[in-house]
Amino acid sequence: MSSYSLEELESWDVKISEIAKNFGLDWYPIAYETCDYFEMIGNMSYHGMPSFRPHWSFGKSFERTHTMYNSGQEGLPYELIINSNPSIAYLMLENSLYLQILIMAHCIGHSDFFKNNRTFKDTDAEHVTLRFRSARGRIQSYIEDPSIGIDKVEELIDACHSIQYQIDRRGRYRKTEDELLALFYEDEKNIEKIKNNKIKFPLEPEFDILLFLLENCKSLRDWEKDIIEIIRSESYYFFPQIRTKVMNEGWASFWHYRILNNLDLADEHHLPFLKTHNLVLRPWIGALNPYHLGFEIFKKIERERGIEECFLAREIHNDESFLMQYLDQELAAELNLFTYSMKGRKDADWTIDDLSDEEGWQECKSAVINSVAGNSIPIIFVEEVVGNVLILKHEHDGRDLDLNYADNCVKNIKKIWKNPVKLFTIIEEEDFEVS
Amino acid sequence: MSIFREHKTSADRSASDRARHKKKIEKAIREGITDIIAEESIIGHDGNKKIKIPVRGIKEWQFVYGDNEGQKKAGAAPGNDISQGQVVRKGKQDQGSGSGNKPGNDKGEEVYEVEISLEELAEYLFDSLQLPDLEKKKLKTILSDRTKKHGVKTKGIRPRLDKKRSAVERIKRKAAVTRDAADNNEEVEEEEAFPFHDNDLRYSNIKNKPKEATNAVIFFMMDVSGSMTRDVKFIARSFFFLLYQFIRYKYEKTEIVFIAHTTEAFETDEGRFFSRSESGGTYISTASKLALEIISKRYHQSAWNIYAFHCTDGDNWPEDNDKAADTLFELSEVSQMTSYTEIIIPGTSPAWQSDIEKNALISKIKSKNGEKLKINRLTSAQDVWQVFRALFGGEI
Repeated sequence: MSSYSLEELESWDVKISEIAKNFGLDWYPIAYETCDYFEMIGNMSYHGMPSFRPHWSFGKSFERTHTMYNSGQEGLPYELIINSNPSIAYLMLENSLYLQILIMAHCIGHSDFFKNNRTFKDTDAEHVTLRFRSARGRIQSYIEDPSIGIDKVEELIDACHSIQYQIDRRGRYRKTEDELLALFYEDEKNIEKIKNNKIKFPLEPEFDILLFLLENCKSLRDWEKDIIEIIRSESYYFFPQIRTKVMNEGWASFWHYRILNNLDLADEHHLPFLKTHNLVLRPWIGALNPYHLGFEIFKKIERERGIEECFLAREIHNDESFLMQYLDQELAAELNLFTYSMKGRKDADWTIDDLSDEEGWQECKSAVINSVAGNSIPIIFVEEVVGNVLILKHEHDGRDLDLNYADNCVKNIKKIWKNPVKLFTIIEEEDFEVS
Repeated sequence: MSIFREHKTSADRSASDRARHKKKIEKAIREGITDIIAEESIIGHDGNKKIKIPVRGIKEWQFVYGDNEGQKKAGAAPGNDISQGQVVRKGKQDQGSGSGNKPGNDKGEEVYEVEISLEELAEYLFDSLQLPDLEKKKLKTILSDRTKKHGVKTKGIRPRLDKKRSAVERIKRKAAVTRDAADNNEEVEEEEAFPFHDNDLRYSNIKNKPKEATNAVIFFMMDVSGSMTRDVKFIARSFFFLLYQFIRYKYEKTEIVFIAHTTEAFETDEGRFFSRSESGGTYISTASKLALEIISKRYHQSAWNIYAFHCTDGDNWPEDNDKAADTLFELSEVSQMTSYTEIIIPGTSPAWQSDIEKNALISKIKSKNGEKLKINRLTSAQDVWQVFRALFGGEI
């Protein structure tokens, strides 16, 4: 199938690792698994996890990925590595040798990022594959349980997927209900409320909707609670990757570039490597290429402040703070960032609004930040429970929700809560209720 | 130091989830199928051939932002030759949508292709469907005894003598005698012939194994006169495709005979069957007549399960109607199922044909009361699936 052997890959890996170590990278050991194209697409559908819970949406993801790769893909072709220790990574056998070398160098960057970036510190990389495997086993048993069965399991999972990323992404310290009550009573403003028995439940908005349902839904059976907790903990595991996509791809690209240039490759490998590198890192019109953005920022940091600061940045930032800190007018102009919109007209052409000149670059920066770090996922929280009605609120940041989707999500939440659910949001600057 | 492992298992980890997904979009696939299958060649593919069907997949409901016409999105350009007001993406008014690379969060119109193998197609489209009840009855009576050799025995009749085995036994005996002689230091006489002994002889053991017929032959018959438009043939082709896949799914071996006709019938191949357009009138009876001839020559009904499907646009020379009904009935009597299907796209039937005339043939066929003779009407590609299911006992 290929013109190189596993031994050759291993010897390249030794060289790559040596260079990476000398540069100061510090990564989880990597376990590479070779596979063919279909296995690769399969693995991608399950986010690279060796074991994953069953659901039709992963079947759909397979079909979509397969279609996409058939028609020309985005990003680095066929790179897949997971946040685990050891980091499991996949090498597709159809890749030519130069691509495998590139991917291996790229993976080291990712693994170093997973190990060192503090957004990942609570993801328990040592045990994640076991957790996922165990979750799979339990869900499989519910599916096979004649008193439950696949339809009920699927319905619950579909519903949980609707609010999968409405979690507490700020990772604030969670006060207990008692602590909150104590604080509540301390505040003089609340005396009236206490007198009239108008203590809101929950006292503070709850951003982790699945947790709220878990703790407050009276009718949940054990298997339902288990599934909700499985999906919830999965979200907390994956969210750091969503929050740091730009940095992570930039970091991995930064190092694959450095490492490969240090490998002294023969032309037959070096030239296609450069070609692929440029292809992967080219700016996409009308969208942001995280590889491009991240790579350019790390290059800028190294240029202006030295490599040490690069290492520090990769440790302490997430995409939002990273861009806030380092995206200045000069870089914005260098990257030819712009904003575009429909100018308030429905179904109109999308045209450019701001350029990265003195006037417009701040707008550009805002728009970029709005699209990274999970900022394109709306924040919905539990505001209050009144009687048996669950009241949710959308933390409106200027962007309206898609009503059709919101409607269906609320329907799904009702399936779990089993009582009325209302969502308050703003549509076209007016208060709006979805119920 | 990295570890390198070769992926060992051949299990397809996504198989079950993909199957479940396909089940959920069954309806979308069925709708997508009628568009695709008319393009597909009917015969000559094994079960592993894949058909790509574009589907609008099931939406996964999550909270997402709407179009937000006022909201600004960020982009980057390869060069600085951009200016305010420049169009980045055409709006929906122009029927165009964004260029290739969209970020993963774009909820867009999710149209993607689902690959289905013919096996899978058959499995969940046809699983709940049955061959006509009569078929099961027939199967029990179409039994031909098959004789099969099963080992040897020492006694038997002359015609069953297994000469080869007998010869082997003789050689064995000769070798034993020679050894014996050598042991006893006797002279071994070189004999010219070492005759057969009764004990050498071996006879074939015969077992009777009743064989069920698992062969099907399908007669696809179609009017190819000038009145048959491309659209009508398109619908016929979709219908034939499903019929073929279904019957093939149920039988081990399926053959097809294509019979095209105008005022005369002729056997032909798939390509010409669908593309040839003849001029002239139509005698529907000629098709069934030819089918009956072919059956008597090549596909005897005791060995073959026969299916016949005739598609026309209902346009027959009136003087042929009686004969058409007769021959169709005759054909149905030797088959498991014969179906006469009229494909009439609303608004396109010839103006000179009165309503009475249109129904004349159908009335005659109905009056035959053939148990195995079915009558269908198709008006569009969407009907195909309904009619098909009705034929084989599924709910509509």
